[in-house]
Amino acid sequence: MNQMLRQPLTDNDIRRRKQIFSILDELGEDLDLTETQFDRARQSYSAVGDWLSGSTDPLLVSVLVYLHGSSALGTAVKPIGRREFDVDLICFCAGIASGISPAVLKAAVGNRLKEHATYVRILEEKKRCWRLNYAGDFHLDLSPTIANPLCINRGELVPDRALKEWHPTNPRAYKILFDDRAALRPTFTGKIIAMQRDEGTVEPFPVREAVKGILRRIVQLLKRHRDVFYENNTEDVAPISIIITTLAMRAYAYCVRRHVFEDEMDVVVETIRMMPHFIGRPTLDGRRGYAILNETTDGENFADNWNKDERRAPAFYAWHARALSDFEALRDAVGQDRLSLNMEHSFGPGVTGRVLGNRINTVSEGRKSGLLSVAPLIGLTTSKVTASTAVPVNTFFGDR
Amino acid sequence: MKGRGQQHDLTLSQQLLFLKANPTVGGVGTVRANRLTWQVPIQPTALARPYLATVTYQPGQSPDVQIDDPDLEILADGRPLPHVYRDPLRLCLHLPGAREWTARKRIDQTVIPWTYLWLYYFEDWLWSDDWKGDGQHPGDEPEPIRNRARRRAVARS
Repeated sequence: MNQMLRQPLTDNDIRRRKQIFSILDELGEDLDLTETQFDRARQSYSAVGDWLSGSTDPLLVSVLVYLHGSSALGTAVKPIGRREFDVDLICFCAGIASGISPAVLKAAVGNRLKEHATYVRILEEKKRCWRLNYAGDFHLDLSPTIANPLCINRGELVPDRALKEWHPTNPRAYKILFDDRAALRPTFTGKIIAMQRDEGTVEPFPVREAVKGILRRIVQLLKRHRDVFYENNTEDVAPISIIITTLAMRAYAYCVRRHVFEDEMDVVVETIRMMPHFIGRPTLDGRRGYAILNETTDGENFADNWNKDERRAPAFYAWHARALSDFEALRDAVGQDRLSLNMEHSFGPGVTGRVLGNRINTVSEGRKSGLLSVAPLIGLTTSKVTASTAVPVNTFFGDR
Repeated sequence: MKGRGQQHDLTLSQQLLFLKANPTVGGVGTVRANRLTWQVPIQPTALARPYLATVTYQPGQSPDVQIDDPDLEILADGRPLPHVYRDPLRLCLHLPGAREWTARKRIDQTVIPWTYLWLYYFEDWLWSDDWKGDGQHPGDEPEPIRNRARRRAVARS
């Protein structure tokens, strides 16, 4: 942490870093499912659940369809280069004993979906799941599961890639654990609290309340950073989302319970820094392997593939080192152009342009409507601030 | 200012007093030899660099604004700066003849806020290469600003 070696933050640093976090928060919101998309996905999956429950197939007598993955956790990220979000669903067939073959159960779900006039047209078979393509919006990936009688935590079993065996999983308990950790509130130093109190009503530009909490934003931003980092890589070694999510939530909980932070950017960077500490190195078949365990059920190692493909662990560490230095550079950026450039490198030009364009438009609109002013310590602002000086109409002129 | 014909041009001393009294304007300055000089730190937003600007003003002319630090041309890295006068390098903050600036107006309420605005759009321009603050260049067709912005947008897309 090197807390002792750091220069204390100036008031100006605190204001600057607060704005940077606010911009990253806006970036996360831009990358997220919109409320409308989320509502449409919810309607669609509850209709799918009703349809599956209406089946006469004895395998599907007591089916529960629920959201899991990033849309359940609030960590969804717009994919690069296509419009559809992945929305992951579990089709939990509670009434089935563990003797059934994964292939048989998957086929039963598929057959029922094919009986539906609409679903049959948008249905696509994937290795482990069924996909319903809602073009231009999202696709629903439906994975069948059954109860795991060995799990004391009401866990489930999901087919493996080959559809030969059942593997332990526990999406419902994972979501509860993630939500609990996301609800942890960091403790901040007295200085920022005092400044927030003094300047609490003064925001340079209207800022929304960060309803998501910091952890969800960290996960979203890291996933997007990963997508950009691996955009032109065809090796298929990028760290999977569940690994990023699990390490981030453990690191966040660890840091928040132990540290007092300067501000939100401090939370972001220290959480990212701690992530690799939650990678276990057990001895597997005489070799040191990797373990990122699902804490909510026995026997699910999210890093299973790292032990089968030796490129994967180095790929994670290479990405993580870059992510850490990029987020440190974002935190320390002085100059709007430097921040913009760092954001573009880290998250891509599209979302960066949209978020920063919105901010510039706020200033330009305020300028046209006479609401823009200059306030002490803050600079340009569209908020009403006492002792500020209005920016009168002008036309920039001069040589090109 | 229409209908207020009794107003007079502000003297240099009055300008200096207004600059000193305005809580949003920092810096120091003097009036010497019929010339006002005011050096002022300007940070357009918390995200921007801190700049140091010098305003100089002589009666009968428009105020000049030079950025002393950091060096704008070094930041621009070889690209020609938008909306400046050269030799010496000064910011072009208003349209001559449009009465956006007149000697009856206060520097602390015009030129200083416009400098904030110029530097704000400048830092965006450094990254995007697109001056989003509108404006005119000498020789531009006197057409509405909105049309020009639209044409540029079409050219970009």
